[in-house]
Amino acid sequence: MNALVPLVVTIPLLGAAIALIFGQRPRVQIFVSLISLTLVTAIAAVLLVAVDQTGTVTVNVGGWAPPWGIVLVVDRLSAIMLLVSALMLLGVLIFAIGQGIVDDDNETPVSIFHPAYLVLSAGLFDAFVAGDLFNMYVGFEMLLAASYVLLTLGGTGARIRAGVTYIVISLMSSLLFVGAIALIYGATGTVTIALISERVRELPMGVQAILCAALLLGFAVKAAVFPLSFWLPDSYPTAPAPVTAVFAGLLTKVGVYAIIRTDTVMFVDVPLRIPLMVVAFFTLLVGIMGAVMQADIKRLLSFTLVSHIGYMIFGIAIGGDIALTATIFYVVHHIVVQTTLFLATGLVERVGGSTSISRLGGLLKAAPFVAVLFFLGALNLGGIPPFSGFLGKIGLFQAGVEEGSWLSYVLIAAGAATSLLTLYALARVWNMAFWRSRGEVEGYQSPLLESLAESPEDSGTVATKQTSRLMVGATTGMVGLTLLLTVFAGPIFGYAERAAAQVENVENYISAVFPEGSP
Amino acid sequence: MATILTIFLIVSVATPFLARFLKNHVFTVVALVPAGAFIWTLLQGEQIRTHGEITETIRWVPQLDLALAFRMDTLAWLLALVVTGVGTVVLLYCTQYFTKREPGLGRFAAFLFAFAGTMFGLVTADDILLMFMFWEITSVLSYLLIGHYTGKKESRGAALQALLVTTFGGLVMLIGVIMISVQVGSTSLSAIVAAGVTGPMAVTAILLIIVGAISKSAIVPFHFWLPAAMAAPTPVSAYLHAAAMVKAGIYLIARLAPGYADLPGWKLVLIGLGVWTMLVGAWRSLRQYDLKLVLAYGTVSQLGFLMVIVGFGTPDAALAGAALLLAHAIYKSTLFLVVGIIDHAAGTRDWRQLSGLGRKMPVLAVITALAIASMAGIPPLLGFVAKESIFGAFLQAAEAGDPYGWIALIGTAVGSILTVAYSARFFWGAFATRTAACVSTEWHKPPTAILIGPGVLAVVSVLLGIFSPALNAWLDPYPESFDGHLEGHLALWHGFEPALFISIAILGLGAALFWKKTQVARLQEALPPLVDSSRGYWSVTRAVDKISAKVTIFGQRGGLPQYLATILVVFVLVLGTLAAIGNVWPTTFRLYDYPQQVVIALVMALATLGAAWTRKRMAAVLLVGVTGFGMVALFAFHGAPDLALTQALVETITIVAFVLVLRRLPGNSQKLTKRVHRGRRAVIAIGTGVVMGAIALIALGSRITDPISAQLPEMAYYEGHGKNVVNVALVDIRAWDTMGEISVLVVVATGIASLLFVSGRADKKGRRGLRRPATALGRRSVLSDPDIQPATPGARQSWLVSGGKIASANRSILLEVLVRLMFHPAIVVSIFLLFVGHNSPGGGFAGGLLAGLALVFRYLAGGRYELREAVPIDAGKLLGAGLVLAVGSAIGSLFFGSEILSSAYLSADIPVLGYISIGTTTIFDIGVYLVVVGLVLDILRSLGGEVDRQQDEADIAEESTDEFSPRQQVPNTDLWATQRVPIVPDTPSATDTREDNR
Repeated sequence: MNALVPLVVTIPLLGAAIALIFGQRPRVQIFVSLISLTLVTAIAAVLLVAVDQTGTVTVNVGGWAPPWGIVLVVDRLSAIMLLVSALMLLGVLIFAIGQGIVDDDNETPVSIFHPAYLVLSAGLFDAFVAGDLFNMYVGFEMLLAASYVLLTLGGTGARIRAGVTYIVISLMSSLLFVGAIALIYGATGTVTIALISERVRELPMGVQAILCAALLLGFAVKAAVFPLSFWLPDSYPTAPAPVTAVFAGLLTKVGVYAIIRTDTVMFVDVPLRIPLMVVAFFTLLVGIMGAVMQADIKRLLSFTLVSHIGYMIFGIAIGGDIALTATIFYVVHHIVVQTTLFLATGLVERVGGSTSISRLGGLLKAAPFVAVLFFLGALNLGGIPPFSGFLGKIGLFQAGVEEGSWLSYVLIAAGAATSLLTLYALARVWNMAFWRSRGEVEGYQSPLLESLAESPEDSGTVATKQTSRLMVGATTGMVGLTLLLTVFAGPIFGYAERAAAQVENVENYISAVFPEGSP
Repeated sequence: MATILTIFLIVSVATPFLARFLKNHVFTVVALVPAGAFIWTLLQGEQIRTHGEITETIRWVPQLDLALAFRMDTLAWLLALVVTGVGTVVLLYCTQYFTKREPGLGRFAAFLFAFAGTMFGLVTADDILLMFMFWEITSVLSYLLIGHYTGKKESRGAALQALLVTTFGGLVMLIGVIMISVQVGSTSLSAIVAAGVTGPMAVTAILLIIVGAISKSAIVPFHFWLPAAMAAPTPVSAYLHAAAMVKAGIYLIARLAPGYADLPGWKLVLIGLGVWTMLVGAWRSLRQYDLKLVLAYGTVSQLGFLMVIVGFGTPDAALAGAALLLAHAIYKSTLFLVVGIIDHAAGTRDWRQLSGLGRKMPVLAVITALAIASMAGIPPLLGFVAKESIFGAFLQAAEAGDPYGWIALIGTAVGSILTVAYSARFFWGAFATRTAACVSTEWHKPPTAILIGPGVLAVVSVLLGIFSPALNAWLDPYPESFDGHLEGHLALWHGFEPALFISIAILGLGAALFWKKTQVARLQEALPPLVDSSRGYWSVTRAVDKISAKVTIFGQRGGLPQYLATILVVFVLVLGTLAAIGNVWPTTFRLYDYPQQVVIALVMALATLGAAWTRKRMAAVLLVGVTGFGMVALFAFHGAPDLALTQALVETITIVAFVLVLRRLPGNSQKLTKRVHRGRRAVIAIGTGVVMGAIALIALGSRITDPISAQLPEMAYYEGHGKNVVNVALVDIRAWDTMGEISVLVVVATGIASLLFVSGRADKKGRRGLRRPATALGRRSVLSDPDIQPATPGARQSWLVSGGKIASANRSILLEVLVRLMFHPAIVVSIFLLFVGHNSPGGGFAGGLLAGLALVFRYLAGGRYELREAVPIDAGKLLGAGLVLAVGSAIGSLFFGSEILSSAYLSADIPVLGYISIGTTTIFDIGVYLVVVGLVLDILRSLGGEVDRQQDEADIAEESTDEFSPRQQVPNTDLWATQRVPIVPDTPSATDTREDNR
């Protein structure tokens, strides 16, 4: 079992290397990528079952025991993150392959897409299994470096501009992260997470707070937590549809995952409840307000992405088993739904030739199946029952009510408002893009469109393109996955509950890393 | 019950497909399901009457206490009968109402059918969360059904409005639902009602739930969505907006009333708003000319009436409420179906254009008369029976001293007078014969079968009225669940009681009001509308839009510089505050370890300031380089030659890369537009530096244990087989990190290359046609560039392979000779560094960098042709091979049964190189070496060679045509609004690039 853990990183890396060597043979690249991610998905599934049954798995890389060597840790939380991300990456890859086959133009130069995509996957997986803070940083760097490449794919003016924002901000967050690691190493003399957890508690609270805050700031930029979130809608939406889908679904969640680990493992004693609640409040509302004023669907979704991070921060802030259970479920739900919606929007863009609701129309008639896919995703994101978004929200609200402070109630109210505004923004998209007929679009006047802002990178309406079966199939599969999250909400919540209990139990984590006691 | 819902789910998914074959007859087929559910429910009646309830529970999400729990008691039974019964009738009616060619028929049928199932679920759910789920699904289905005529703007707007209003209420209610279920400790509705908790939390929760209920049931101030929802096809209005969905709020209040009617605020809100709604709705109804709107406002009014009675909280009121609920569902859906028939037949619903319908359709007139009679409360219909008992119940409470009894009595009596008036006006409007000129001439005779549905409902209304005493036995268990004794019963004739006189008075006054309709109309025009919630809705949405726009524009106005500033300001504020208030300053304080540190630090600091200050890009790069070499010095003084060597090589390569890029940028960065910005940024920068320094001091000052590095050298030697601890750490102890980092190098190198080659094509050539197939990456193109002729044998005569290919003006013989002499030794040394790295300064990274530097000089001396000759391999392949070696050696160890990246060693004495211990780590290090060489090669080819080539082309293009470089047309968006540095630089003039070309 232990041997499987490093494979989740090495397989995609090896795949990336092979894809690079066969840079001129797209078919080989596609084959390698598919095989790599399928293998990782299978491994992640096996790990999930194994970890759930027998407990946390740790691997001392190279046989070097922590804290000197690097330790990889897979507990229930890591395992579910691995599995969900692997599934998303695989689904989006299939979509991208479908798009590449249809297009065959220079928007997605195949030869660089696959290696970068696989390195991104490897980085993501590494961040989830890292039991070593510096190694987590390396994982972040891998996925970020790959994301720079993927974001600027094709090198159009808009993408370069978005890329500049994204790269500079990401470098800043990495700088904060690595700075925090240096501080933590300075104070505790280790970068092994389990040992940090122990030693940090011996430091004065003031120092703990400083170290914790320094680390969280870096993660908060990545997770797009208010007020460090404004960059996101300026960068994500310009990438090609599948790339945006992966970014939206997964990259912010790595930040959330890291925040969970910071709060529950590394800095157990630091009181983060109130500060996190305050930022969660603003993240929710300011984010969704951004979504309300967007005419461009991709930008709109990017703002909802930021906003809904607030739900997760809220859950982390409350803490405790119930809230963490709901948070873990919500993270899983949100990864799947955001990815799916961006893919559906990718289909919309191809069918309608634009992503701006002021110019789209008649999609229900033109592409009824795409409409169904988009509608299901939108309802789910808006937290409409019976979908998983609603279930996650109930969990968070229940935890908030049980916590019972007035701040919790304020957050619940903000959460409900966010849900309503999400629905408002998405229903407006539906009204305009799907219901409104094509013929009405010209010179259309409506109070609903008055305050909307077009994307600064708006490129007008372009020719519609074909959608391949593979693209629609991949999106359908993902929508199917969101429905499964609802149907099997019971078992998934059960798993999330066990994962939360495990995350909460720090001593369990430490003894898994140091079976013979910490040095 | 779960089985019924499953059938509903499956059939509704199948409906669109069935509709393709069956066309409008799909309604007849699917109507069998609610009909079956109706019969099943009816058969359960006996058991419910005797046992009180039937329940069913399936586990779903125990963590949320959410289960598929169903419970059918009397109230649920009554409502289930209504929703399935009316649902069946409406679906059958649809078969006639729609033609075969109706667009979106399958979709419509599926939604309407699914709605019937959802309502069935809503009224039978016992888990309050489950009930809420059905509740919200009805909102969504209502949205889809109201917007059925997708081509009509008002129908889309009305759909959105209904969705937002009911979802707003729903979300408010959700908070209440969760609060009450947490307080009770159960999500079971029956348990929540039985618990009857009190206290401020319960009051808040119940009030929040009431908000949900009144928004769903269109009570003031949320009533406005219902008339607007009349944009839906008539069957939808009949079902959703008369019989079923709007009853959900009434149902919930009726459900909670036994436990919570005495809670403070309950009666005040429900009776107050209910009476108000009844009056407002009826008053507005009197003013309408559209028959459907008469009914819509009438429904609003009647919902207010229902809210008063079911919220009243006495057993008698509960019984009367149940009766009115039943009566209203039947007569109101009948009337809507009638309006649908008239609309189809006459082509209009405006009664001013209708004439003589009574003579043309006598049967329809009779059906309408029966329904109207029930609505107005004329015996012997069910509506009359219900109203009698309502007034009886209010009187009973009023006599017992409850002030709400009087309020409710007077309010609903006045409302009932108006009801009689608009009922009469509706009938007169629809069926009277007029002589006005504007009467519509259009007339299609409707199919007789369409009359069956409304006819059946009308007959049921009569039968239930006549046999109303029999209803008592079935309905009594519900009122008996309240505290207190049930005195009243349903009957046509109670004797000469006060309620009877009230009823007679109401009928008389209502008739008088109808008689004086012209005067009433004049009065209505004179009075301004009291509440205009619809305008409120629009101003709220507009305000939300506007505020959102303001907030967002504020947050995003500055683009990247502002985002960066925000991050840094947050950093300074948060960490600065924590450092200031934490009382954590170290007590002992060492200024420096050795005096050189001070000098180096000073130089580095000055260089940093200079880099920030200067506007000359090249100077800035060099100054940044100074800080890098400062690090080299620090490493060296700390006794880390290996790090110093690597850092020096890295700095050199970095500067080279920068120079390659800078030659394409203007020499000076542009000045900030405002002096304030400069000052502000200086403050932020200095603050960040100070805070970072302070917290570093604090963190290091509070060190409690020795860092792990103390033991590393020893471990490296005995277990890692190497004296060079840095290298052992890189390739063994922390090889996992190295593996990740080289993949970063790989991806960055390829990324830069792809960007330059691809964007070179996309930007520069634009639509002038791509010369190479798009999938071919530039790297490959360099090798196959048609511009480059293969080096002729004659070229061999020069010092460098490419010597003959370069314009003599750009050649430097001195450089060529030097490179010629140095290149091969440098490569040898780099390989030496690679292999001795484990024990002495060196390693794959340093070795690779040295080889890279050698390539840099080769390029500088001979240009891109020279580079191609020096390494005739695709850089991508080099990078890929390096990564394969590194990762492969990592995975390899797995096959020997040990942990990943475990190392194995083979030691031997080798001439020249001396004692060497070659292990798997060496293979790993070779991988690193290859990756680094590949990286440098990629950078040289893209930032160097490709940029040269693009430049050459640009020069040629400039000479041949006077065309504007497309690069200058790249819009300068507000990303850099405050800084005005173009992201994609303007093409510099030909002169300044040629200068530093080589």
